[in-house]
Amino acid sequence: MTTSGISRRGALRMFGIGALSVAGAGALGACAPSGASTSSNGGDTKSKDFDFTSWSLNEEAAKPSIEKIIKAWEKAEGSRIRAVSYPYNEYLSQLTLKLGGGETTGAVHLDIAWLAAIAQMGKLAELDSTAMKGGYTNVALESGMYDGKQYGLPWNTGSIGVIANSKLLEKAGIKKHPTTIEEFEGALRELKGLGNGIVPYAAATKVAQLKDIFPWMQTFGCTLMDGDEVTIGDDASIDAVTWYKKLHDEKLIASDVDRFDARALFGQGKAAFYDDAIIGKGVTSAQSKDKTLADAMQPMKRPVLRSGDTPQALLWGGVIAIVKGKGQDAATEFALHTTSDRATTTEYFASRALPPSTTVGLSDPKVAQDTFTTEWTEKITDTATGSPFWQFAQNAQIEEAVAKQVQAVLVGKSKPKDAMKKAGEEVAALIRR
Amino acid sequence: MTSTTSTPLSGTERLRPHTTSAGRTSRRRIRKDLLRSRIAAWTAVLVIGAFGMLPIYWLLATALSSPEQTFQFPPKLIPTEITFSNFTALAENDQLIKYLVNSLIVASITAVLSVVVATYMGYSFSKFRYRGRRSLMHLVLASQMFPQAVLLVTLYAVFSSFGLLNTYTALVLSFTTFTMPLCVWMLKGIFDTIPDALLEAASIDGASRWRTLHSIVAPLAAPGMIAAGLFAFVRGWNDFIFAVTLADKEKQTLPPGLVSTYIGEFQTAWPELMAASLVVSIPVVIAFMFLQRYLVGGMTAGSVKS
Repeated sequence: MTTSGISRRGALRMFGIGALSVAGAGALGACAPSGASTSSNGGDTKSKDFDFTSWSLNEEAAKPSIEKIIKAWEKAEGSRIRAVSYPYNEYLSQLTLKLGGGETTGAVHLDIAWLAAIAQMGKLAELDSTAMKGGYTNVALESGMYDGKQYGLPWNTGSIGVIANSKLLEKAGIKKHPTTIEEFEGALRELKGLGNGIVPYAAATKVAQLKDIFPWMQTFGCTLMDGDEVTIGDDASIDAVTWYKKLHDEKLIASDVDRFDARALFGQGKAAFYDDAIIGKGVTSAQSKDKTLADAMQPMKRPVLRSGDTPQALLWGGVIAIVKGKGQDAATEFALHTTSDRATTTEYFASRALPPSTTVGLSDPKVAQDTFTTEWTEKITDTATGSPFWQFAQNAQIEEAVAKQVQAVLVGKSKPKDAMKKAGEEVAALIRR
Repeated sequence: MTSTTSTPLSGTERLRPHTTSAGRTSRRRIRKDLLRSRIAAWTAVLVIGAFGMLPIYWLLATALSSPEQTFQFPPKLIPTEITFSNFTALAENDQLIKYLVNSLIVASITAVLSVVVATYMGYSFSKFRYRGRRSLMHLVLASQMFPQAVLLVTLYAVFSSFGLLNTYTALVLSFTTFTMPLCVWMLKGIFDTIPDALLEAASIDGASRWRTLHSIVAPLAAPGMIAAGLFAFVRGWNDFIFAVTLADKEKQTLPPGLVSTYIGEFQTAWPELMAASLVVSIPVVIAFMFLQRYLVGGMTAGSVKS
């Protein structure tokens, strides 16, 4: 009878075999044909049939309206669109793998934060001439650009900004939205005075969402990056985090809050301000028992440090990019139609509350008469900017590195100065990698 | 000689142990200790039980709640308004049924394939002596030593080059890669416990090696084979990352299917997700209910050698 115990020699042998297996598997993978070395993913660029990859094609809320657009296109053009989808949280990694492997072709829906990372792979077609035909707003066009070239046609352009609950503000005797940091702090204290467990500002304090601090850092004067240099760690970033810590210590913001918690608190009238994208109105009011909440939700300009400063907001939205290869021409036409056709974009707005990216679309009565959307565009999106970190494939790690340091400050494990210095060093190291 | 008069003891008194006040105190103390240890044991059982069952209760409570109730702050342990709409919505979702069927197909084939291959490999490792046997055994185990994600890119490239992406074959082969090593070692351990004398006796009676394995060894190892099959089934049923990478929407299994359907860019439909999770866990629960004795028996069968 044999023994199945592993001797020291056996363990060493096993490690050796393991290492060889990994090397062998790597070699096998390297030998496999891949589209990574070529800029085109192959196939007939003139083909009428193509793929459309979008995370929204699986989501119950978005699927019907996108399928409607696809079906209308297929009927009009006599072509066939293959719908491809991955979950939102897995989308970037799946797309990177499959685009690199040559499997992804046609039109690809991208979050604007991912465009740079995908464009760097060299698989996307330049769309400068097509974009000229769309009538997109300048902010929208910029959201689809990387390295001075147009790689994405903007589908929806919005921003992440502050939403206020007018009913709670009124209750606290606040007549107008605070415009400066000082006024904002004052308003938060008034709201805290209402008692009843109110969290005046449901700001993000969990690592997963602490990237929301970037616009506040910018408000205090930190540019995040200056050319190739990371500026996190400068006096402005330290001031911003010190201020955030002050709000936390005075219980004007709460611990352990992410976007979902913030929506829940706001939805139950327990928070007067929180950060969200424009779509937050629909999401938060839908999960609230208070059916009048939607009417009380107001977009608010982010308070500035000194009167006259530009309010900061993070650009947010989606673009459609085109992969070089099979069905490229038809996919480009489809993307142009989907993102700029007036009837299509306004109908999409009506079903999903995602604002169009064209001037014509924005001026359509269905959109223009929606006060929340027009106010949002004027107060928040007009001055919104993209993150300088989006250009790096390591964007997610960069955001996490900063978030962890900010959280260390909030829980008292680190001083703002030390934490921001460390965050800046970590971000610089990630960028160099 | 001193005569002593003693009252005769009744039957029950004779049987009763001699009681003194010290004895009574000691008995009381024993009873108290027993009560204390019982209370401690029950408290431990309750705490551990709550630890294990609370997530399941929360799953059920959320599945029966409306979205407004789910996001109520502070959360309520018992839902005040019960709704079955999350369950009825499931029945209307054809895509979820498709994911369920895919999961059943892929997990079942993975289980069968893993057991068949592992039986022959385990038997070979256990009962035959040949050059490189130990190295091969360690090679099988070595594949468990690095994270699955490391192999994902390689497997993706290999399946892509063979045109196997978006097929059941890709999913079954990739799942089997990870289930087989444990199945092989589990079954090898079970075969080790079968005495060589039994195989020799079969050989003397004229049974071929093939016949010996199928007619004598396999029936004896059946509980272990069932345990290995269950393990492989559950592993195939639960996998997310390989299923989302190697299969498209048509061939995708439940874990990525549920995530895609209910966890979106802007929000997570928790009540629907919980209802779906509850429903899709039923086949696995039923399988466990019927086969749990084999699972426990099979897992420990190779641990003691005769």
